[in-house]
Amino acid sequence: MKNVSVAVASGLVYALACAPSSIAHRLYFAATITGLQRSMDGGRSWADALAKLTLQAPLTATSVAFSPDFGEDCTLFVGAPGGVLRSQDAGENWRIATLPTPPPFVTCLAVSPNYRADGLVFAGAMEDGVLRSWDRGESWAAWNFGLLDLNVFALAVSPNFTEDDTLFVGVESGVFRSANGGRAWRETAFPMDAAPVLSLAISHDKTVILAGTEQNGLWSSRDQGESWQPVASWLERTAINTLHIEKCTNGGLALLALTGAAVWCSYDSGASWQKAEPNAGAALTCVAAPDGIHAGAELLLGTEDGHIWIVRAP
Amino acid sequence: MTQTRRRPSLFQPAVYRAVGSGASQIVGAIRPTLGPIGRVVAVERLLDKRGPEVLDSGGLIAKRIIQLSNPYTDVGAMFVRDLLWRLHDQEGDGVATAAVLFQAIFEGGVRHVTAGHNARRLQTFLEEGTRLVLDELARMAKPVAGKERLAHVAYTVCHDRELSDLLGEIFDIIGPYGRLEIRSGNTRSLEREYVEGMYWDRGVLSRDMISDWRRMRCDLEEAAIAISDLHLRTPEQVLPVLEQATRAGLHNLLVVADEISDSAMSLLLANNRPDRMRIVAVKTPGFGKEEQADVLTDLAVLTGGRPFLRTVGDTFERICVDDFGRARRVWVETQNFGVIGGKGDPRRLRRHLAALRAAFEGTLDIVQRGKLQARLGKLLGGAATLRVGGLSEREIEARKEAAERTAAAVRGALQEGIAPGGGAAFLACQPALRRKMAAASEPEERAAYGILVQAMAEPMRAIVANAGYDPGDALAEVRMAGPGYGYDVLTGRVVCMMEAGIVDPASVQKAAAYAALSGAALALTIDVIVHRTEQPSHASIRGPGQRKKL
Repeated sequence: MKNVSVAVASGLVYALACAPSSIAHRLYFAATITGLQRSMDGGRSWADALAKLTLQAPLTATSVAFSPDFGEDCTLFVGAPGGVLRSQDAGENWRIATLPTPPPFVTCLAVSPNYRADGLVFAGAMEDGVLRSWDRGESWAAWNFGLLDLNVFALAVSPNFTEDDTLFVGVESGVFRSANGGRAWRETAFPMDAAPVLSLAISHDKTVILAGTEQNGLWSSRDQGESWQPVASWLERTAINTLHIEKCTNGGLALLALTGAAVWCSYDSGASWQKAEPNAGAALTCVAAPDGIHAGAELLLGTEDGHIWIVRAP
Repeated sequence: MTQTRRRPSLFQPAVYRAVGSGASQIVGAIRPTLGPIGRVVAVERLLDKRGPEVLDSGGLIAKRIIQLSNPYTDVGAMFVRDLLWRLHDQEGDGVATAAVLFQAIFEGGVRHVTAGHNARRLQTFLEEGTRLVLDELARMAKPVAGKERLAHVAYTVCHDRELSDLLGEIFDIIGPYGRLEIRSGNTRSLEREYVEGMYWDRGVLSRDMISDWRRMRCDLEEAAIAISDLHLRTPEQVLPVLEQATRAGLHNLLVVADEISDSAMSLLLANNRPDRMRIVAVKTPGFGKEEQADVLTDLAVLTGGRPFLRTVGDTFERICVDDFGRARRVWVETQNFGVIGGKGDPRRLRRHLAALRAAFEGTLDIVQRGKLQARLGKLLGGAATLRVGGLSEREIEARKEAAERTAAAVRGALQEGIAPGGGAAFLACQPALRRKMAAASEPEERAAYGILVQAMAEPMRAIVANAGYDPGDALAEVRMAGPGYGYDVLTGRVVCMMEAGIVDPASVQKAAAYAALSGAALALTIDVIVHRTEQPSHASIRGPGQRKKL
């Protein structure tokens, strides 16, 4: 299949997300500098998802996160400067929750895997640390006890959050961990000299945590963040903007990493990598893998100049 | 002329009898309180004629016993009281355990010395044995984390479910170094609140700077901070700050200074314009140059600014924009001000905190540890306040005291871990002590380890006896079960203490063991008691002393 690109915004595409239980419906969202775009045909065409808000000026959308029970509750969240938007009807209508002033710049969102019971949503912000909502996004408060670095680039929630209440943040100076549902944070041993950490991902069985840095490659931890090692097979020194991990059909882990110029896939738990360069003409900023991570799978790539590319995984 | 009656000095063997008798009276008053089914002690009040105080805390009981009638036995009593009081202030718990250990070791030591052993040699080997006991206790310690487990640790100290649940939640959030303030509340119950950022007990210097009169507060967003302990006596001394702030287009400015004269303040007020630049001034936190310098250093690291210090001759004359600290938010009230979201280099902040933690671990001085802990707590990005309410002022005070010592114990547990409770940890030290005893080459060495072996059973013996069980039978069952097992007096069964959740903070156990063992070893070397009839004029007040690094 030839690479296809669609222009969705006049500037940066911050994030891409695919609805978790609607692969058949191909419902995707793109958070861009000029608004939130929605596609219902697998990324082939896009429309303004916030049109009903009749905004006077485009609202920058910086992040998107779906409820883990999206198939039932149709709930998703979108981060914006100073607020978090929530839709409970798959993006038709929106409710805006204003965050405490001064308006935080939301960089990332994460929803609790146990959202149905606990209603927890987390927002990472630049200069404001982590904000936490315990009532499904209605109200928010900053919980930064022990978070010594408030410049948050990435959030990753443990797949076993129901039992362990654990989540991680990637920040300017490394990685912090919370073991009490985001109410307090502790430093991990991630080396400060290797930071900033721009992206994080946790495997389904919690055995591996990946951290993508700005200039110091890819790092992994196999002991819940107690110790970190550089991934030996990763040789790039450019910023790793997005990371995904999932279970591979061969029993190992499939990894996906996005740098500014290429998308990298590993199907053997990081022992080796295959690369695909879409020659997008602009830096790649985000990626979504609606069909999972396997050779030939369809991937969506967002770019700095407002395009979304549909490519095949290497 | 009134004749001063001098008491004759007391020599051995009367000294041992006197010290032992005095110590026994103190220990006898405290021993019944040991364990979950301990008893209470009624202590007569001296200052008023209300009914006696009913106490179940060994530390409070020790503090209440001011003097015994016999001046010689009083020496022994005060010796023990002093070490128990220090332990109570330092750890908040473990006093009754230390008391029974002290008595067992002292009495065992007296038997051996009167039988002919050398007291100084015995002291030397008892101190060696103390180190072995502390190592064994440290080996048994396991880290503790999580709200429920911390609440459980708190419960073993205070036996107050509501209080322990709240303290568990609080310490799960603020961590081992976090800042916790315990205050009297205005309601009948316990309340807690969490405050974001760091704050100090210093308020606005001029009420004209308050912008929100309803809340008596001023909030600044994206604030610049001029950090100093300077005395700004003239408008010219503060003018450079305003010039630099204006040139940089700053909209919110906080000026921290130790003194601002009326004329200098007038200049600040004249330039305090919400439409151009809001200016608020606060007094430098801290007492004394050293403390203020520490506070300003921390504030500078947090916000990325530069502290201007009087001691090095700094002035604002050459201040530049880069010298300002920056923060996302600053709030100022009449009594406090706070900083949220300092914009200093996070790496520098983390290294600074690591240095403070290392200094905390390395210092022996209690006062210094308190100061370092306060600094660490402030820099961690938040604080908790526990308000203790009650039906009466007496109840509030009692519950506050319980909260403070429980908080100290929980903090110790977070810092050094937990170990089997109920006296089981001490009992588990016996095998190592027996090995040393078997390998001993001198009679005093064998005697010392023998004394310690016997003494290690005393805490469990006292707990079991207080609960109404036969200590001999209980200990026999426990010994058969093995190390780490103890007697659960609530169920009357032998259990693995850690699995059963019967635990103590390791820091409390170690501190109690050290206080008792080293105190008793020292008491055995007292040969003469000399009484003074009046306090010499050059006598100095003793400080809180040093915390032994165990």
